[in-house]
Amino acid sequence: MNLDSYQIKQEPYYSPTHNEIQLFEAAYASRMPMMLKGPTGCGKTRFVEYMAWKLDKPIITVSCHEDMTASDLVGRYLLDAEGTVWHDGPLTLAVRYGAICYLDEIVEARQDTSVVIHSLTDDRRILSIEKKNEVIRAHKDFQIVISYNPGYQSVLKDLKESTKQRFAAIDFDYPEPDAEASIIAHESGVDKKTAMKLVTISERSRNLKGHGLDEGTSTRMLIYAAQLMTQGVSIEEACQVALVLPITDDHDIRDALTSAITACT
Amino acid sequence: MIASTTRGKYAVLPQSKEPGDPDERLVFLIKKGKNYFPKQYQQLWEQTCTKLANAGYGSLIPLSYARHSPKLIEHLDPETAINLAASVSLAAIKVNRAASELLPKAAVIAAHELQSVSSFNTWMDTIVELILSASESVLPVLERTQKILSILTTEQFRSWVLAGLRSTGDDTLRQIQYFSFTDPESEKWFRHEAGDVVFTDLDRRLKLYLISLWNLRPPIRDLSASISPLASRRITISNGVVQIPEVFPSFHGERAENIFRAGLAHVGAHLIYSTKRFRLGELKPIQVTLISLIEDARVEYLAMQVFPGLRKLWLPFHVAKSSGPQLVPHLLARLSRALIDEDYKDPNGWVQKGREMFFDDKNDMNDPMICRKIGVLLGNDLGQLRAQFNAKTYVIEPPYRDDNMGLWDFGDSQGEDQDNQGIFIEAMHIEHEEKQDNSSSNQNHQEEDEKNEQQYHARESKDNEQRESDVAVRYPEFDYLTGAERPNWTCVVEYFPNYGDAYKIDRILETHNELVIRITRLIQAAKVSLPERLHHQSVGESLDLDACINAVISRRIGEIPDPRIYSTTVRKRRDLSVLVLLDISNSTNDQVLNAKESVLELEIQATSLLAYAMSELHDPFAISAFCSDGKEDVHYYRIKDFGLPYDLKARAYLAGLRGKLSTRIGAAMRHATKDLVGQHTHRKLLLVVSDGEPSDIDVKDKKYLVEDARKVVQSASRLGIDTFCVGLDAGGENYLNKIFGRKNVVVIDNLDRFPERLPMLYLRLTS
Repeated sequence: MNLDSYQIKQEPYYSPTHNEIQLFEAAYASRMPMMLKGPTGCGKTRFVEYMAWKLDKPIITVSCHEDMTASDLVGRYLLDAEGTVWHDGPLTLAVRYGAICYLDEIVEARQDTSVVIHSLTDDRRILSIEKKNEVIRAHKDFQIVISYNPGYQSVLKDLKESTKQRFAAIDFDYPEPDAEASIIAHESGVDKKTAMKLVTISERSRNLKGHGLDEGTSTRMLIYAAQLMTQGVSIEEACQVALVLPITDDHDIRDALTSAITACT
Repeated sequence: MIASTTRGKYAVLPQSKEPGDPDERLVFLIKKGKNYFPKQYQQLWEQTCTKLANAGYGSLIPLSYARHSPKLIEHLDPETAINLAASVSLAAIKVNRAASELLPKAAVIAAHELQSVSSFNTWMDTIVELILSASESVLPVLERTQKILSILTTEQFRSWVLAGLRSTGDDTLRQIQYFSFTDPESEKWFRHEAGDVVFTDLDRRLKLYLISLWNLRPPIRDLSASISPLASRRITISNGVVQIPEVFPSFHGERAENIFRAGLAHVGAHLIYSTKRFRLGELKPIQVTLISLIEDARVEYLAMQVFPGLRKLWLPFHVAKSSGPQLVPHLLARLSRALIDEDYKDPNGWVQKGREMFFDDKNDMNDPMICRKIGVLLGNDLGQLRAQFNAKTYVIEPPYRDDNMGLWDFGDSQGEDQDNQGIFIEAMHIEHEEKQDNSSSNQNHQEEDEKNEQQYHARESKDNEQRESDVAVRYPEFDYLTGAERPNWTCVVEYFPNYGDAYKIDRILETHNELVIRITRLIQAAKVSLPERLHHQSVGESLDLDACINAVISRRIGEIPDPRIYSTTVRKRRDLSVLVLLDISNSTNDQVLNAKESVLELEIQATSLLAYAMSELHDPFAISAFCSDGKEDVHYYRIKDFGLPYDLKARAYLAGLRGKLSTRIGAAMRHATKDLVGQHTHRKLLLVVSDGEPSDIDVKDKKYLVEDARKVVQSASRLGIDTFCVGLDAGGENYLNKIFGRKNVVVIDNLDRFPERLPMLYLRLTS
């Protein structure tokens, strides 16, 4: 089967913060399962897309959710005019034809679901499909990458220890102010000075993490705010719409954040 | 008809002809006053006056009534004027003659302010309430009628009075202090009712603002109101503690919010940029004042480099004008403005010089020493101008700026001693005096220290068995009489529980062996975590073969096939967390009829069996206990927290519970609710075990705490928390139903069966 549609044709914009590109390349050389950790909107997904482009490999992304079952990953029998037909799931596709399989926010999936990847993440590199009575040996290009946001950690939503220990991990955080401003400027088209101002603003909300906010504003949110500004929205309003309102419903935090933003502008 | 034509003209009648003799004077006043009543009321009023005169209250009270009550007609109606006599009489009996005599006069003032019969009646009812429950405080309130009613509406007045009665309980002395405005609480609630923005209202958001802006978390306290006159109160920082006035008078609405915000932003700038303290040395007061002023400007300048928007926040409070008298405080305010407001023009040479020196390009703004240099020079200039400066009366302007106490190094531990001393300049003054003669004041300090130490020890020994943890949270309380919550009214303090014998809990399980076996069996049934296969589904992850065949058959014979051909597996999970809140008030020490244990013993037994069931079911659960000692000290004990194991320690805590104090159930439930809200489960259950009606030492009104608890239950349910109560008081249906709702209460009449019933009840509730 042709995985062309999963190939990333154009170079995605990615500005490295440390040596994560070299690390990932090294890990890919031995097809090591990778775990990308970090707060939401700090560029994990963009990074893996960039790496797929750089390594010139197709990438199959699965956004995990609570209702996701093992069949959603592996595949299932469906009925057509003639009878039942097997359809490969995204994971099976990647295993069979050699792609990077990126399971985004894996903690969102139920724990029993994530167990299906176990046999793929050790030296066996096989996927057994019981329903079809088939064992697939992973294609030489196949690699599994998961993203994992420690902010979600709770008793109910965490990876099993046995799952965690099958991965090497790269830790991501929001970029340094200057780098972050460059990213915002590049992605939205605002000038660097405005971008820098937005970074100062984001620092205000990141300060509130743990004091009523679970997460500070992400780089992604800042890009949204900047994009609104390129459309002529004022900085106060853009911040209100893109940064304050989505992040909290707590009036006191909203008020504190709005006042702090006013102080920055 | 006379009455209608003369209404409103009473005030102009001459009073000089009044006879000297009291009896004659009363006759005169009655004769005169009568004319202002419509004819049908004249006789009634006359009778009322005579009745008062014959009641034996002395001559002054009927005279006051006869003199003032006709004036009520001007704003109200004759009936109100006549009815006033009843309250006057009540005041004479319950309070004293002075209050009774003052009442008619105060009523006229009230009528003048209120202008409506219904508002006047509310005012009168409130006064009567005060007469009945805090008679000593009637006089101070009546004396302040004008002040109070010019600011508060009658409803607000009533709320303020109720707040006073609720917060002072039976303590007459505190009542008098509250109602004569000598208790800081009084001013605070008065401002609150008047709709003024008080710090308490903004507390949380201002703290968040400081965190957001500077990532600073200094302890912030109310500035005790008694230190200095209201108008001159300023924020003060000492030893890293920020003290904030409860209210900035004359700032209302948004401006009031902004001044708090401006103040905290200024404090933040100090905490970040005022890194070194200035040495006091031989500086004159004016120099100290100027150095502080320039330091203020310097830290604000630096802060505005990072946060340019702060200028918009600070600038509106700089209102000094370049015209006006050349007095030192005024010049200082102008200099402050000149250093922040670029557009401000000031013709004064001294101000201009200050500005030029400050913005000199050679200055390194990061160096606080420039302030010292400029301040000393400017101070000398002022000295040469022979301008008078009184350090004692000087108050820093604009009002958002702090008193700069924290900037100065007093050379020894003095600075720390001044902790709560109020205005900086005063402190300086003391400092100077002490240099000359420090023997006597040192002695005073010593005495005070000793006294403090004694108090500390007294407290320590009292707390020996009751160690306070550092958690104390304030909660509002709902007053049904005003229909509103009073913010930050009660304080829940978390105490460390006592250790008991953990094996006692194990023994309870052993003695109830049969019951444990039954519970275990029930638990196995309740543990519905086994996967269940659902056939015949329209969506699913595998095909239901039978359904598929049927569908294909249907299609072959030309019927519409049933599309539900999949099967799926679902895993039913128990998804709930429970917080068990135990009432351990003094009444739980009572012996249970027909049993040898006390109520508390049975509570512990029941809870240990329940805890066993919950831990076997792997439901996340927590156990807490509470009792209360007035609104400021609601004890809260965490026996077991969510996320912690039900281990030996938790069991020891459970076994160590002792019954004492009262039952302020609402506050404890608010605290418990806060814990439950954070749980990420589908269902959240607050299980309250209570043995008696809510009560507390400072609450006389039984209905008050019941209504408050009811409010908590309602708010909890809005947050998705179910509350359920197990009542151990056979007659408790009445109030428990009111608080929790009929369906959510089980009253256990046969108490010795309580340990057995509780786990069963739990399983039933949660299945």
